[in-house]
Amino acid sequence: MTAGHRERHGDRAERRRMPGRGRTPRWRLLLRYLLLLAVLALTVGPFLWQLSTSLKGPGEDIYRYPPSLIPGHLTFGNYAGVAEIIPVWDFALNSLKVAAANVLTNCAGAALAGYALARMRFRGRRTALVVFIMAMLVPVESIMIAQFVTMRELQLNNTLIGVLLPACIGAMNVLLMRNAFAGLPYEVEEAAFVDGANAWQRFVRIALPSVKGTLAVVAIFAFMGAWDDFLWPLIVLSDQSKFTLTVGLNFLHGTFADNQRLVAAGTVIAVLPLIVMFACLQRYFFRGVGEGAVKG
Amino acid sequence: MQPTAQDGLRMPRTVRRIRTHLPSSPWLFLTPGLLIVGGFSLYPFVSTVVNSFTDARTLIKGRFVGGGNYQELIHDAMFWTGLRNSLVYVLGVVPLLVILPLLLAMLVQRQIPGITFFRAAFYTPVVASVVVVGLIWVWLLDDRGLINALLETVGFGKVGFLSDPWLLLLSAMAVTVWKGLGYYMIIYLAALANVPRELHEACAVDGAGVVRRFLTVTVPALRSTMVLVGALSAVNAFKVFSEVYLMAGPTGGPGGEDTTLVMLVQQVGTGLSGRVGYAAALSVVVFVITLGLMLLVLRANRREDA
Amino acid sequence: MRTSMRRSRSAATATIALASALALAACGAPDGSGGADSASGKVEGQVVFQTWNLKANFKDYFEGLIADFEQKYPDAKVKWVDQPAEGYPEKLSADAAGGTLPDVVNVSPDLAYPLAKAGMALDLEKSAGKYRGEYLDGAWKSNEMPGMKGVYAFPWYLNTGPMFYNKELFRQAGLDPAKPPTTYDQLFRDAKSMAEKSGRKMAMLASTPSIEDFGRYGVRLMNPQGTEFTFNEPKGVELLQHYKELYEAGALDSQALTAKAESAGRKFQQQAVAMNPGSALDLENFRKEAPSLYKNIGITDAVNNTGKANMYVQGLMVNAQSEVKPAAVAFAHFVTDKKNQMAFAKEVTIFPSTKGSLDDPYFTEQDGTDATRVRVASAKSLENAVNYTPVLLSDQMKTVLRNAVARAVQGKQSPKAALDGAVAECNRLLKTG
Repeated sequence: MTAGHRERHGDRAERRRMPGRGRTPRWRLLLRYLLLLAVLALTVGPFLWQLSTSLKGPGEDIYRYPPSLIPGHLTFGNYAGVAEIIPVWDFALNSLKVAAANVLTNCAGAALAGYALARMRFRGRRTALVVFIMAMLVPVESIMIAQFVTMRELQLNNTLIGVLLPACIGAMNVLLMRNAFAGLPYEVEEAAFVDGANAWQRFVRIALPSVKGTLAVVAIFAFMGAWDDFLWPLIVLSDQSKFTLTVGLNFLHGTFADNQRLVAAGTVIAVLPLIVMFACLQRYFFRGVGEGAVKG
Repeated sequence: MQPTAQDGLRMPRTVRRIRTHLPSSPWLFLTPGLLIVGGFSLYPFVSTVVNSFTDARTLIKGRFVGGGNYQELIHDAMFWTGLRNSLVYVLGVVPLLVILPLLLAMLVQRQIPGITFFRAAFYTPVVASVVVVGLIWVWLLDDRGLINALLETVGFGKVGFLSDPWLLLLSAMAVTVWKGLGYYMIIYLAALANVPRELHEACAVDGAGVVRRFLTVTVPALRSTMVLVGALSAVNAFKVFSEVYLMAGPTGGPGGEDTTLVMLVQQVGTGLSGRVGYAAALSVVVFVITLGLMLLVLRANRREDA
Repeated sequence: MRTSMRRSRSAATATIALASALALAACGAPDGSGGADSASGKVEGQVVFQTWNLKANFKDYFEGLIADFEQKYPDAKVKWVDQPAEGYPEKLSADAAGGTLPDVVNVSPDLAYPLAKAGMALDLEKSAGKYRGEYLDGAWKSNEMPGMKGVYAFPWYLNTGPMFYNKELFRQAGLDPAKPPTTYDQLFRDAKSMAEKSGRKMAMLASTPSIEDFGRYGVRLMNPQGTEFTFNEPKGVELLQHYKELYEAGALDSQALTAKAESAGRKFQQQAVAMNPGSALDLENFRKEAPSLYKNIGITDAVNNTGKANMYVQGLMVNAQSEVKPAAVAFAHFVTDKKNQMAFAKEVTIFPSTKGSLDDPYFTEQDGTDATRVRVASAKSLENAVNYTPVLLSDQMKTVLRNAVARAVQGKQSPKAALDGAVAECNRLLKTG
């Protein structure tokens, strides 16, 4: 069950041996793959459909019933078409800036707050926790205009910082980090305390490396949140040169005629970075507390 | 036995000493977070609360109407429909979202060839755009869609997934669960990595089966995470909007029977002539109920702990 | 339809928007004051001009337009911003609240109304009344606001459309594909016979009646003063009764009760329903997206009892708080003048709202193609077309009506009771506003 840990040992021989490991009968592995394939069919369907639409040439019936997944005239023209209609790379760069900053601020801010809530004892800890819980529950829709007015007072409307600021430390991420820190064994930090490490040192050197998995989760959520957000950037930004990708891609919905193929191509462009990001970060999910903490 | 104590109650004494060591530092750790959530979530929400006592429109400043909006809400049949649907949604979705993503996480946790691909693939529903997801599910569940075509060939006959109010709500729940699988899966994955391997191995040596190991090792070790996932999914389910909107249309099903509370907030409050005051009152109710849900779950968790 | 499509798509965002009016105090000058004087000064300064999702496809047209204007008025500059399709009302709400509304704003009458009511739209009857004669009467009047004196936006481009029908489905149902229904009686009869012949497998229409269908049927929607809704009059009940029968017979798509403009269009493109309203622009869409439907497409006039087609109007509003009012008014007029609207109409199949433009050969002469046939027919129907949808009918009221219609069609309430309830609720909402 926890074979994932083996990955970090980097023992290639062991890893290669694994599928046929003595304790795991072959049929079990087969069952596992069958299950994986079943879930796969369920989860990637929509994405394939979108991918296929984006590759269909003009004149193909995209509303055909029953629908066909294989494009008749395979073309990448729709992707070029997207770039022709809107400055898609500029938009993507803006999005990337906001999303990257959002990852940094969320990881740092949520880790700090989460650590304090989980590992420090002070008056007002419960209150602080409730403040974060309440913040998480505020219906965003109801405060958007008030937020915009605040941004304007701060002279941050029509800037990417204005887009970033309200969600740059998400309350939910704080709760996730708190949960992760709370799960760490106390013995580890105790040892460091005996060694004379102060709270900062314990946080940076011991606690933080032990929760890499949750940090990766926060990073993904933060990136995705900033990357996908539509309404807030739309409201804050006025100049097209500052638009983020989600806002910019909306221009593909023509006023007079929708080109579904372009819209589909746009969707694929928007989703790919997220999947790549996930594929890159996923290995951190398997490097949790077992590592730093127990060894230390 | 478990080294994962959640609270100060069970902390060893030395740990308490650590905590009192630097009295000023907790606030140093907390300040950035508190500033952001205070300044950009809680402070603006105060104006929502104030608005809920006025008859404000989107572009027109309201007059004070006392509890008028709340009174109207109690007599608004749509409010009760919305409340019912939102609660039904929580009850239907939360158990599945606590269990299924955990099983999925355990399925992909093991390092076997090709697993990276599967993990990324299972995450795609989370990143796929809601509108696309809506389209595909509507196409699947449509009267002339794939699922109905299958049901007809096996002689079951058509099912009005998208025309019957209850089936519509169920269909929307299915989409929520489907989209939530990957989302909560990664929270579980991160937490699963924390389960000491030694425990599993000890168990395996005892000859415990997969199911028993799951119940005696994994579940207790992940309890706090399961509670967190339960709380998060409950809040999200209560505030459901997109799935119902996409499946049941902007009116929330035939005659509005599938309207959820947040859909109602949107119907009432959006647009340039939105009734901001009334929508604010609805928002405050949503806030209070979700806060109640959240505290309830956390309290229940603590009581079991003690 | 375009307008409604954009509106509904705006709501289709996953996120939802809810405005807070708290911050409005700062910028709520009570009426579009300033009047003729401030609008008739020197044309100078920078005008911020906001369009609604037009940049992607008409960049060259607008850049040329702006260059022409700046050449004509060397002291004036135009900064053009374009907003995407979704979330437009939310963007306007935030800008109105934050005092950042552009000087010239692309609005439809239903968006102009709340802005005018909040004193943010300039009364053009006062400031630009001299231009009135240049526009079609119906178009100019479409931006009159009940309960207020004046007109609050220059009429810009218009749209209207025929009914499209699927000849193949007509054939399969034993109907003559050359004789589409031209009256409501024929429409209802054909729909029922189609459902019957196909064993309820084929539906004629994809959605239940909306407010404009009531208007087209000849139902009086509001009293003349614009203070009360009246669509529960016997004629309205009669229309709803017909739809109830259609639904029972299976002549409406089974998902008609939850349909929106896009989903109805999709049903038609998937050839699941036989008739759907559209516009001249859809024809090109069908050709590209659904070629097998395009082969069998039939085009006919939308049925009405009033002799007046429905039209959709886009307009240009001038911000009442603009600091460059003379230039803003001049530019809004410039964009909507006869020459520039005509040029725009040649870019894409929309219709100018200026007098005489529709007499241009482009809108009167056939060339044998379907596209031209639709364009000519639409232009003809626009001469006396009206915008049936009352500007006072807010989104929430539209939902009230749709829910009432759904209840009646399902037989949960009688048509009369459902409409009475809807009218009472809409009137209540009207009064609280």
